[in-house]
Amino acid sequence: MNIFICCKQVPDVAMTIQVREGQIVTDGMNYVLNAYDASCVEEALVLKEKHGAEITLVLIGGESGKEALRKGLAMGADKAFHIQDDALNNCSSHVAARVLQAFFKDRSYDFILTGKQAQDSDMGLAGGILAGELDLTYVTNAVGLDVEDGKVVVKRQGDEGVEIVHMPMPSLITCSNDMNDPRIPSLKGIMSSKKKPMDVLKLSDLGLGANDFASERSKSTTLSFSLPPQRQAGQKFEGDAETLVATLMEKLTKEAKVL
Amino acid sequence: MITDFTEDQKLMQQSARDFAEKYVRPLAKELDETGEFPVELIQKASEMGFMGVAIPEEYGGSGMDNVSYAIMIEEISRWCGSTGVILSVNNSLACDPIMRYGTEEQKKTWLTPLASGARIGCYGLTEPNAGSDCAGTRTTAVDKGDHYLLNGAKIFITNATNSDVALVFASTDPGKGNKGITCLIVDMKSPGFSVKSMHGKMGIKASGLAELIFEDVKVPKENLLGEPGKGFKVAMTTLDGGRIGIAAQAIGIARGAFEEATQYSKERVQFGKPISEFQAIQFKLADMAMKIDAARLMTLKAAWLKDQGNNYNQQSAAAKLYASEMSSWVTSQAVQVHGGYGYISEYNVERYFRDARITEIYEGTSEIQRVVIAANIFGR
Repeated sequence: MNIFICCKQVPDVAMTIQVREGQIVTDGMNYVLNAYDASCVEEALVLKEKHGAEITLVLIGGESGKEALRKGLAMGADKAFHIQDDALNNCSSHVAARVLQAFFKDRSYDFILTGKQAQDSDMGLAGGILAGELDLTYVTNAVGLDVEDGKVVVKRQGDEGVEIVHMPMPSLITCSNDMNDPRIPSLKGIMSSKKKPMDVLKLSDLGLGANDFASERSKSTTLSFSLPPQRQAGQKFEGDAETLVATLMEKLTKEAKVL
Repeated sequence: MITDFTEDQKLMQQSARDFAEKYVRPLAKELDETGEFPVELIQKASEMGFMGVAIPEEYGGSGMDNVSYAIMIEEISRWCGSTGVILSVNNSLACDPIMRYGTEEQKKTWLTPLASGARIGCYGLTEPNAGSDCAGTRTTAVDKGDHYLLNGAKIFITNATNSDVALVFASTDPGKGNKGITCLIVDMKSPGFSVKSMHGKMGIKASGLAELIFEDVKVPKENLLGEPGKGFKVAMTTLDGGRIGIAAQAIGIARGAFEEATQYSKERVQFGKPISEFQAIQFKLADMAMKIDAARLMTLKAAWLKDQGNNYNQQSAAAKLYASEMSSWVTSQAVQVHGGYGYISEYNVERYFRDARITEIYEGTSEIQRVVIAANIFGR
């Protein structure tokens, strides 16, 4: 079985994000493998242990993106492709999908996994657009995967409950981080990941030029970033039930005016 | 010098941080309350490769460097000082001297299981009457031809309740003081070897502290580490490395206290606003952050010097001294930021305050670190 996972490196959301003049301050920021993509790697590793598979990672990003790929390799993935080109700095989901389409068009694979969204932008677009570009059947928000009789059995979380979907191969599946608890790379895994193949590709290696994305670039442009407004402190009331209900009713009626 | 962590070090830091958050954090309070050695946690840490971080892979270790080792100890100690010191002792005081002084045979027999975590090691140097002053060692090892006959006792030995292997420093020539001390690798299952658990500690309660008692313990000659009478050098060079681990442990504990005090200050409202908005609290936290950073840089420098094969005797003593005194100060300030709640065991800072104190005492007291630094300044 041949599994590809599209990954992204994102700022560590555990850190405090700062915005200055509409741009995210990147100095001193830690970057990590997108948690949703880490869940893809974990799920693929479980499938590999069960059925045998080769797991390949692909990531678009600058030099530091190598660290995110190393983490996936340290977890147990077999090889990686790092698409690194200055023309792709801060690229949109549309551009990323177009580049990945060029990467995948001459490759064979059984299925492609990718996080249902990235922790930084929370767009959730690239997977769907890529499936469209590659003309693949695709399903979103997987919370479980297996392979049976040449089909991928996807457990997906919908609004109304869990659906079980049988997908043909090849296909594309976007995954939730509720799917599993990704393993923590051991030091042995970290050291062995250095010996695994990681190819760096330029746009030209994919038969693309920097001017090939005019249409994709025009579809969305990020103008600026801002932090969400600070939440106001709540109010705490004390007293017996009768007093509390009376106070709450008065607040809801007179202050919040929602009743 | 270190300007940024390497890719390996960054990945190791992330793994150690994730491990600490997932497995150490939920257990830390319970370990403090029960004082039980965390057997399963150490098993998991072994699987991660934390028991012999800087030992080459061919001897069961992880093949990383001492900077990575310091990073790992800080991350684990962020949540639990007991677990931090257990790992530090196995890495620095059990594995490192065998790697440095052991024969190929000793490395295969003793180092490989210790570095992989299949066995746990402890370090028997301190005695009731010989702490800072090694020359007062009363434990004796008498040469009996093909073996030494070991008699005596050691005290305050970390990991001892759950260890399999002890490095024991004994006098083979009592008239010669430091020059008569010899280091032996001792299988703790040997007849005549007993362990007596010690209780009533102020902090790091789950570190498996015990006394080691030797009654006619036969130690084969092939277990001699280094040369007879050269044990003092083994002990001192081993402690140089150990101090990097204790400095990192002290930094981890201080970081925990700092992070939790920062969080608490944002939540605690007095006089109508969070106390983090008062300059008195801000300055406290600013000083804490500054001192933690300074201690970390000193510790990483000592670890880096060790990795380069340079002398790091003064730097590791200075790092350990500064980091431990810093940790006691920072944890005390964190209690202060928490006010009355900081004095209650429900809040972690109460534990951090107790855990930090020992870092000024073990693996060389603050006074001994000053002796080491001064000796480097004035020459020995």
